[in-house]
Amino acid sequence: MPLKRRTIVWLAGVVVAVNGFIPALWILATSLKSETELMSQPITYLPQAPTLANYLQAFTEQPLLAFLWNSFVVASLSTLLCVLVSALAAYALTRLRVPRSQLIMAALMAVAMFPLVSLMVPLFKLMRELGLLNTYLALILPYAVLSMPVCTLVLASFFQDIEPDLEAAAMVDGCSRVGALLRVIVPLSAPGVFTAAILAFVNAWDEFLLALTMLNRLSMRTLPVGITLYQGEFAFPWPLISAALVVAIVPISILIAVFQERVVGGLTAGGVKG
Amino acid sequence: MTRKSLSERSLGFLLLAPAALLLLLIVVYPIANLVWASFFDIHLAEPWRGEPFVALENYARAFADERFWRSVATTSIYVVVTVPGALLVGLGLALLANLPFRVKWPVRLGLLLPWALPLVFSGLIFRWFFDYRQGIVNDLLARAGVDALAWLTDPRLALAAICIAIVWKSSSFMALMLLAGLQTIPRELYEAAAVDGATRWQKLVSITLPMLRPAIMVALIFRTITAIQTFDIPYAMTGGGPGDSTETLAMYIQKTTLDFLDFGYGSALATLMFCLSLLATAGYLRYTRRSARREDA
Repeated sequence: MPLKRRTIVWLAGVVVAVNGFIPALWILATSLKSETELMSQPITYLPQAPTLANYLQAFTEQPLLAFLWNSFVVASLSTLLCVLVSALAAYALTRLRVPRSQLIMAALMAVAMFPLVSLMVPLFKLMRELGLLNTYLALILPYAVLSMPVCTLVLASFFQDIEPDLEAAAMVDGCSRVGALLRVIVPLSAPGVFTAAILAFVNAWDEFLLALTMLNRLSMRTLPVGITLYQGEFAFPWPLISAALVVAIVPISILIAVFQERVVGGLTAGGVKG
Repeated sequence: MTRKSLSERSLGFLLLAPAALLLLLIVVYPIANLVWASFFDIHLAEPWRGEPFVALENYARAFADERFWRSVATTSIYVVVTVPGALLVGLGLALLANLPFRVKWPVRLGLLLPWALPLVFSGLIFRWFFDYRQGIVNDLLARAGVDALAWLTDPRLALAAICIAIVWKSSSFMALMLLAGLQTIPRELYEAAAVDGATRWQKLVSITLPMLRPAIMVALIFRTITAIQTFDIPYAMTGGGPGDSTETLAMYIQKTTLDFLDFGYGSALATLMFCLSLLATAGYLRYTRRSARREDA
């Protein structure tokens, strides 16, 4: 490959990567600055005297650990519920002769597009009547439903590719249908299950509007809502907010960095095939 | 055989039952409840007023409510600007990311990070970018010899800043979907075009874009549906201000219900929002059904 072309390719990669990384890098740099350095004009790009004080303060000023824990619990449990329910549905739609399975799938996708803000009002009332406000369940149930369509789609596309003979063989060996599902289909489509789980987890980890509505006790807040609490009425302590943001972004970034190929595959299965 | 397929069918419905139950509880019942509530006057803060039936009064109020129309207009601006904007930027990113890189992960992660970053966080970070005194944008402008702009306190500039943030946030997901589309285009097409002496631009216009059409359509519809619901980014960047110049319909609904506790009116607004997005969803379903039929044919 000629040198010029290689340079162009290299530059293209830099553009895409920088575009994606810049906000994260900028808050990382900001989180290491002191309030006085922040106020200096002209602004500094790299921190002149890096300090971790903002991180300490981020954990003491607001219950950041509790926010992390709440997000983790809500995201994992809703993911678990979502993948379980979606796997059963996807199995029924792909491997059993359910009439009008295409139509059911389309209806499921349509549901995913309903505006959350329209659901927010009646869901708030529902959860209040059920006495579930300020409990994890008030978010776990809606989050599981919100990711259900995309998870069902991803799982269905994996289930479809498994040889029917394998399943038949299992059933000849005395497995029931459900036994075959659990012992043959699910293990064989482990990558699909995994992909679906990551998508559901990220969706739940990111959600803001319902989290703002359903959990208003400070100790129950999830990360997206909790982070907004660092700002005062008029003041924006940016180094502090940046430190909290970095803490909030690191877990999800690690997750997608480790499983990036899976995530891309799952996202595009949900989009292109849908 | 009939017995077997019959039991298979009932097992199928049994396995679909949990999903159906969850949908009933979390989507169907709440939507029905929402439409029902929109015909009543419900003030959570003033329980002594009761909840009288007011028929279509809440809707009449909405159509006469200037703030409602402003929020609809603002939402439309976000849709009209950010949907094509995200498509163009996303297409650009996808074409760049489709080049043969030796190390793939920085590019892939560069597309995934904006997608995984919560919307509110993106809003906060862009608010920080557009900060008047310490923001990176005004600093770069100053270096270019341009005076600092009051990005978040001038209504028009605030709209522009929010649109930029939305385009940044949504274009990478767009790029991922388009990239998947690009990778399904057979190489032979390009090789044949190269034999015929086609330029790079001709290849883009007569091979890439037409082949990418299905992916572009799906991506556009998805983006439109989410753009109609825009909430988090303006909420984090301006809170709807200055005044209510950057407030979307979703933000107005949230304020009406949770801040003003005007549930009847809020339900009517939310019902209108629901109808609006149904239109977009109907478009999506029509498109997928049509392309499914094309595939069958």
